[in-house]
Amino acid sequence: MILSLFVTLARYYLNSTYSGKKCKQFLQEFYNEDSAGKKVFKYGAQLVCLAHREQVALVVDLDDVAEEDPQLVESVCENTKRYTGLFADAVHELLSEYREREVLAKDALDVYIEHRLMMETRGRDPADTRDPRNQYPVDLMRRFEVYFRPPSTSKPEVIRDVKADHIGKLVTVRGIVTRATEVKPMMAVATYTCDQCGAETYQPIASPSFMPLIMCPSQECVTNRSGGRLYLQTRGSKFIKFQELRIQEHSDQVPVGNIPRSMTLYARGENTRVAQPGDHVAVSGVFLPLLRSGFRQAVQGLLSETYLEIHCIALMNKTEDDELGTEELSEEELRQITEEDFYEKLAGSIAPEIYGHEDVKKALLLLLMGGVEQAPRGMKIRGNINICLMGDPGVAKSQLLSYIDRLAPRSQYTTGRGSSGVGLTAAVMRDPVTGEMTLEGGALVLADLGVCCIDEFDKMADADRTAIHEVMEQQTISIAKAGIMTSLNARCSILAAANPAYGRYNPRKSIEQNIQLPAALLSRFDLLWLIQDKPDTDNDLRLAQHITYVHQHCRQPPTHFTPIDMKLMRRYLNKCKKRQPAVPEALADYITAAYVEMRKEARVSKDTTFTSARTLLSILRLSTALARLRMVDVVEKEDVNEAMRLMEMSKDSLQPDKSNTTRTQRPADVIFSLVRELAGEGGKVKAVRMTEAEHRCVSRGFTPAQFQAALDEYEELNVWQINQARSRITFL
Amino acid sequence: MPSSEDWINNPLGVVDGIFAQSKLSPEWERKVLEYFKEKLKLNDAKSWVPSLNDVPLHYLKPNSLVKFRCMVQDMFDPEFFMGAYETVDPSTNSKELRCGKYKDVTDCGQVDFNSRNIVTSERQTFYCVPIPGESQWVKESYACSSQARVVPSTSYTPHRHKRSYEEDDDMDMPHQKESSSGPQNLPDPRRNVDSKRLETEAPCQNASSSHCSSNLDLNFPLPGERGPACLVKVYEEWDSFRLNDMLEVFGVLSVDPALSFIADDKEVSSLLDPTDTMETAEEQRAHSPPASLVPRLHVLYAQPLQHNNPLLPSAISEDKAFLSGFLSELNSVRGELLTYLTHVLLGDALAAEYLILHLISSVYARRDVLPLGKFTLNISGCPHNSSYTEQLCQIIQHLMPSSYRLCMSLHNMNNLPMVPRKDYTANRLVGGILQLASNTSLFLDETQLEQGQLDATGVRNITALGNLISWQKVDYDFSYHQMEFPCNINVLIASEGRSLLPCDSQVHLRPTVSPPNVEEYLKAIQLAQLPSHLNKYRVYLTVARLLDYSISEQVTKAVEEDFVEMRKDNPQSISAEDLHRMLVVARLLSLSYGQTTLSRDGWIKAKQLEMVRTSRTQQQECVNGNEP
Repeated sequence: MILSLFVTLARYYLNSTYSGKKCKQFLQEFYNEDSAGKKVFKYGAQLVCLAHREQVALVVDLDDVAEEDPQLVESVCENTKRYTGLFADAVHELLSEYREREVLAKDALDVYIEHRLMMETRGRDPADTRDPRNQYPVDLMRRFEVYFRPPSTSKPEVIRDVKADHIGKLVTVRGIVTRATEVKPMMAVATYTCDQCGAETYQPIASPSFMPLIMCPSQECVTNRSGGRLYLQTRGSKFIKFQELRIQEHSDQVPVGNIPRSMTLYARGENTRVAQPGDHVAVSGVFLPLLRSGFRQAVQGLLSETYLEIHCIALMNKTEDDELGTEELSEEELRQITEEDFYEKLAGSIAPEIYGHEDVKKALLLLLMGGVEQAPRGMKIRGNINICLMGDPGVAKSQLLSYIDRLAPRSQYTTGRGSSGVGLTAAVMRDPVTGEMTLEGGALVLADLGVCCIDEFDKMADADRTAIHEVMEQQTISIAKAGIMTSLNARCSILAAANPAYGRYNPRKSIEQNIQLPAALLSRFDLLWLIQDKPDTDNDLRLAQHITYVHQHCRQPPTHFTPIDMKLMRRYLNKCKKRQPAVPEALADYITAAYVEMRKEARVSKDTTFTSARTLLSILRLSTALARLRMVDVVEKEDVNEAMRLMEMSKDSLQPDKSNTTRTQRPADVIFSLVRELAGEGGKVKAVRMTEAEHRCVSRGFTPAQFQAALDEYEELNVWQINQARSRITFL
Repeated sequence: MPSSEDWINNPLGVVDGIFAQSKLSPEWERKVLEYFKEKLKLNDAKSWVPSLNDVPLHYLKPNSLVKFRCMVQDMFDPEFFMGAYETVDPSTNSKELRCGKYKDVTDCGQVDFNSRNIVTSERQTFYCVPIPGESQWVKESYACSSQARVVPSTSYTPHRHKRSYEEDDDMDMPHQKESSSGPQNLPDPRRNVDSKRLETEAPCQNASSSHCSSNLDLNFPLPGERGPACLVKVYEEWDSFRLNDMLEVFGVLSVDPALSFIADDKEVSSLLDPTDTMETAEEQRAHSPPASLVPRLHVLYAQPLQHNNPLLPSAISEDKAFLSGFLSELNSVRGELLTYLTHVLLGDALAAEYLILHLISSVYARRDVLPLGKFTLNISGCPHNSSYTEQLCQIIQHLMPSSYRLCMSLHNMNNLPMVPRKDYTANRLVGGILQLASNTSLFLDETQLEQGQLDATGVRNITALGNLISWQKVDYDFSYHQMEFPCNINVLIASEGRSLLPCDSQVHLRPTVSPPNVEEYLKAIQLAQLPSHLNKYRVYLTVARLLDYSISEQVTKAVEEDFVEMRKDNPQSISAEDLHRMLVVARLLSLSYGQTTLSRDGWIKAKQLEMVRTSRTQQQECVNGNEP
């Protein structure tokens, strides 16, 4: 109804010949310049193809139209159906000009059209006007389709926002295809012949159903009253491909507590067979009411259905879509993130509802970020960071995991108890219908380029656990089963959570006994955290405050920062991931020295974790991830220090309660012993360079402030002396 | 109230009148709404409107005003309709503007589809079902309070086709009618009075239940439910409604036979029409079922329900007089209820105390993913081989407005659809057991669980139950993705040992009396309760749940210090989760005494209660050895 309304309006108020001329002009004259500065007639070239039946669809990019005539774009978007016709008319008129050679007939209809045209030119008296019904309808002669691509400035709409006021307009929506019919031929022009006079009659069809003509309307039959009957001719009729789709809006566009809405799409011609159920698509088209006719219209009464006539349909995968939906970070948002202490802030924004565990959250942030992958001479060194969280029951491990699962743009969540090795890696399945062998990816394959969270890691059967060894280092899964030999990418970070072997961490048992995971597996984790539930008055009080506040006010207690929104964080991480920071030459020595130091230490003290070459790689990964987080291209010393601090802290967390068994060591005391050790190394040298000492301490997890405090304290005690320039410590 | 006849019996006349007066100004829509709102505000006007819930459909006049107490089960796509249209009288060729709102079919005459005066508007359809698991007493009580006198009129011949439908069924299964009406109806004093109605209702129920299996599934979330389902068409502010909301809607009943013709006709014509294959037969059945089975209701006024307890005014927080009146006797009611429940729980006062806390719990806020205020209770140590759990559930059903008992037998776990799922062929949400309205009591009977194999569905069902308990959300299955729907369901688990599902607190039943015949014993207790007492308990449980609650700064401090103290003594004794739970217990305990703030005493009481409970659990573990 509305359509008809504005079509009439348009007929009155728009000078259609003028518009038609505009369309023609655009098609003929539009060009852009290629790299050599030559004019390329984009549509001219396509018209040539159309004229020779080498191309069917002509997509008019409204961005191009905008360059010539912005006003025209507006009218096209407002009244698309009409302009489709105008452009089609223009193309039809132009085609003969662009025909360069004789066209070979492609199908029966081509031959048919050719014959009719020949007949007309040959046998007819030009003065003889034909009954309009017997004239060839333009639709029959056209073998091309015209579509519009919406301007890039137009934003996609949410399906639930497409309402009655969008009728007739060009709309872009996104969604997931939930149903698609078979592609069927739909009659566009019906051709009849009369059994009496042999005249041909044509009937263009616009609606989904039509009433076949019965009586011959030709001059002969009417005057003779011969009552000629019409018969439908399949060969002479024009059919187009037709498919009906239904899309449903994406889950993130649905308000809480609502059911996702859906929309019906009609695809014709070249737009059919593009999407299948389950595909994510971006569709633009004209939103139209569905006109029913005859009895249906009567009983349907007051209702009218709507559909979207597709002009452009594009498949997209889910992750791409997520990115597309987010524009570039604005200046303000960037500033919001890259404030001072943004590292703490970002880390604090991970699972804000879980109290404390700052270092663990920092580690998880780095896991999301991922280090830089290196591939020197074909040897691939993974950049993904694997983390294993262990701890007493009820320390929010699972919550951390599920939060990461939600935060990461691509992730899989499984529990060790529920998954077998096959479920994690890949399975070879026999298709029940065809009997073919097919590969089905498991959780790790599905999490490619993302995070795979495995809860209850310790509950997994050993055999199944070994299946992921390969993934954790080589980042591939090799299959040699049932005649299929292949290797699948599984470039994912693994975040595992495990309970200690006896339910609770037993400080009287050694670490190995507590964890009960093979060293081969443990060494593949960059960081191992033991989250323990230790009493500590200060912490307890803050924890209690936190919880009571929540119960009192039903929301988060105010912190010194507001947690960063999940979406913003995702976008920021995405942006950071584009950086590929490198380790400068100068730092290499520093890292090697630190590594040698760690190895030495591991040998001396009975170390519980493995310090191997993998540790060195871990440090590199963590520091590149840190550099990425700062959005720089070079790794700095602070990054390495922070990486080593995290390593140290994670190792510390594994140490059986030092604090409980022995007197707590004040930081100053530890710093003193560290410096002492450093001095002792060099034999009889009694002096230590300040910078060297500081590095040592910082890499062990002390802040420079603590270091300075310790220096002053021990100087007062006359244990050592510091020279004026504060560059050297001399033991007395 | 003779004047009420007009707007109740012929609301469309009122609408048309206002429409005609307005002369095309858009004001009329608002005026219509205000008119009906005013009418319904009059002291007991609401009770004059006949309710779809307790009056059989064929007793109701088409196009009259009816009300319906329901839950939103599914939301369809919005529809476009002609808000105003023009008809042409072919004989005189005169045009007339008509209102298309609140109607399904055009009145008469030929519609001029090219008229400029056509206004296209949008409305939203909700598929509504009666509140799942609504207890018998709620239904009866609502039916009793209704003052609408609906007499079966002889003047409804236009609906002949529908009548015959039912009569067919009637003849098919006369034996079933008796069997279904017999045991399901509890002793009912009004039986004789209402026997006629019951009789006419019975075939109705049979009709719907038999159609569930054969050709029309009314899509009730719970198996064995009956009652009318309804397509509710909402014209205003549909965005404020959510799935699983409890609503009371007042609207125009539309059962035009033409609506059913559409459905029938479409199936035939789909063979001819190529575009119709998209709309499969199932979809049509789901979206436009015969109006005689699923009537349409065009909403004039809708209000979300806070609770479905008929003994309370529907907007309790506004009715101060009622509230203060009840609060004065609240403590004595609590005492009586506690004694009653103690008897029911075989003399275990602690378990009874916890059961009260559980029954009045409700999710009052969500912090990120964590729901606050939920209190899942696991009563372990239930006698295994008697029908004790069944009886217990019945007692709860008599107290709570809506509840459902789920036997966690292996067969049920492996076969029952629990999570609602989107059926794309029919394009609707297929209900599952976990699609329940807020504050429904879900009674999980774990004593029915036996050893055996859980298949994939079973595992999924267990996970869904676990999610429901720990996060108060259900992940509806949308085939290509899952969608999280927050819910507020009180889960009570009865088990022999510790339940395999997570729970907030577990109480091991310690009977002090051991009656030789548990069944007889419970029956005797139930019979001893006067109906007036039961009603008091019902009011009490709903009121206590709806009270506001706050914690003062001072008490917060004390709680914090207390926590730190406890941690200092023994860090293993209390964790963050324990504190969470204790705060919830303190909240519920205070509310159960009608106190709206936490006092220091309340906190200490809650602490003691928890201590007694945990010590009992520990003892139980000692008795059982290392067995969890």
